Amino acid sequence: MHTVLEVKNLRAGYADREILKGISFTLNADDFFAIIGPSGAGKSTLIRCVNRLVEPKSGEVIFNGKDIVKLSPAQLRHERRNIGMIFQEFNLIERLSVMDNVLTGRLGYTGTLRSVLRMFTKEEIKQALVLLDRVGLADHIDKRADRLSGGQRQRVGIARALIQNPKLLLVDEPTSSLDPKISREVMGLIREMAREFHIPVLCNIHDVDLACDFCTQVIGLQDGIKKFEGPPAKLDKQALQEIYAMEVL
Amino acid sequence: MSTLAHEAGMASITARADAIAAGRSRTRARRFITFFAIFLLVAWTVEVIVISDTDWSRILTGSLLTTLGRFLELDWSLVPELWEPAVETIFMATLATLAGLVLSIPVAWLGASNITPFGKWSYAFGRFLMTMSRSVHEIVWGLIFVSAVGLGALAGILAMAVRSVGFISKTIAEAIEDVDPKPLEAIRAAGGTKFQILWFAILPQIIPVFVGNMIFEWDINIRRSTILGLVGAGGLGLVLFRQMAMSNNGGIAVVILAILALIVFGEVVSYYARKAVI
Repeated sequence: MHTVLEVKNLRAGYADREILKGISFTLNADDFFAIIGPSGAGKSTLIRCVNRLVEPKSGEVIFNGKDIVKLSPAQLRHERRNIGMIFQEFNLIERLSVMDNVLTGRLGYTGTLRSVLRMFTKEEIKQALVLLDRVGLADHIDKRADRLSGGQRQRVGIARALIQNPKLLLVDEPTSSLDPKISREVMGLIREMAREFHIPVLCNIHDVDLACDFCTQVIGLQDGIKKFEGPPAKLDKQALQEIYAMEVL
Repeated sequence: MSTLAHEAGMASITARADAIAAGRSRTRARRFITFFAIFLLVAWTVEVIVISDTDWSRILTGSLLTTLGRFLELDWSLVPELWEPAVETIFMATLATLAGLVLSIPVAWLGASNITPFGKWSYAFGRFLMTMSRSVHEIVWGLIFVSAVGLGALAGILAMAVRSVGFISKTIAEAIEDVDPKPLEAIRAAGGTKFQILWFAILPQIIPVFVGNMIFEWDINIRRSTILGLVGAGGLGLVLFRQMAMSNNGGIAVVILAILALIVFGEVVSYYARKAVI
């Protein structure tokens, strides 16, 4: 099993406040990592440092044989095409149709002129149709995104991430805006698609039960420090107390 | 003991009541003096500006009614000559609004704090252009452009276009500043360029504001173009100006009615257009 992502001694934050204090881990081809921890532990910052939506201060993020941290802006844009991202609040463009929203996942491959005219290739449209069918939105293709329910919107978000043909999926609290039943459906769908396309997943999630049910490996974060790493079975009461120490007190 | 304390308490309350009552009568006196001073000022202004500066013999001898009557003798013969300038007025307003939009795009880009290209300097410059456009009256812009490009509709169009930039670019810039940043992040994460972020994530969010305000500005430009003729910038205003120069009171009244009809037309069109868009 080959390594897809290697994070080494990653630090991030501001001059007066350090958010990540040296995080290291390795993500392999079929892994589904869950990052758990109390609010403010740095989960969201960690995930955003991987595709540099947040600039890390130091450390290495080796992906696809390159250190993401050292890439030039153009190289970074190029590499981001290989990293799909799913967001807590879906981050759809409300006034565009479901189809157009999914196709925005292809913008990294689309030239300026063709994006002005929204000219995506027939191949891309076909792939969007296949993915929308897979996430169960075949009947909603022409609907505007703001007409969908929360669960449906996140499905659009999943299709948009997958149409990039990514080699890694970053998933940021995918269920925080959803009710418990829909949350399980969405997590199930992400896992199913990740397995089908052999994409490793790095997923922030505050819900420990959900994390244990769907992931292969758990990283416990507290105040920017990795307090735990292991399979869900090893995440016992003591480990949880360690991770959530601040809240227990 | 308790009675004594009670009496002492009563005494202090009485003293406070006296003090408050005295304070209130002072306030009353001050208020009276203020109002009286304002009244004197107004009376003096009326005396100086209206009473001694008006030709009362003209009003009191009944020639007032005769003059007003002359406006009521509507000169309908003018109507066939009004169609062309009326249509010209609408075209002027439309072209001016479109030209104003084109000019507004770079100004809004400079003046939106979240996307301005060179930090606070370009932001300040953008805001300065917006203020300048709005703080100069359209008649003054008209005079400037009439002397620049000569009499005619082009001067009026340019004047209104420049005057429109203030409002259009300010509302676009504010809409850009209020944009929800989440979709921007999604396109950035997928490897999109800055231009693609602007085109796919910002533009769809500002379109409703954008179109609504364009229609609003078009409506205002119809009003402006009716008046810009006064400085020689074409349209119905120019006809009005000619009738005034000829002292044809009936003709003036007809042109004013035509302007009114045009403004009502603009209002109705923009009402339905805005409803269709939003």
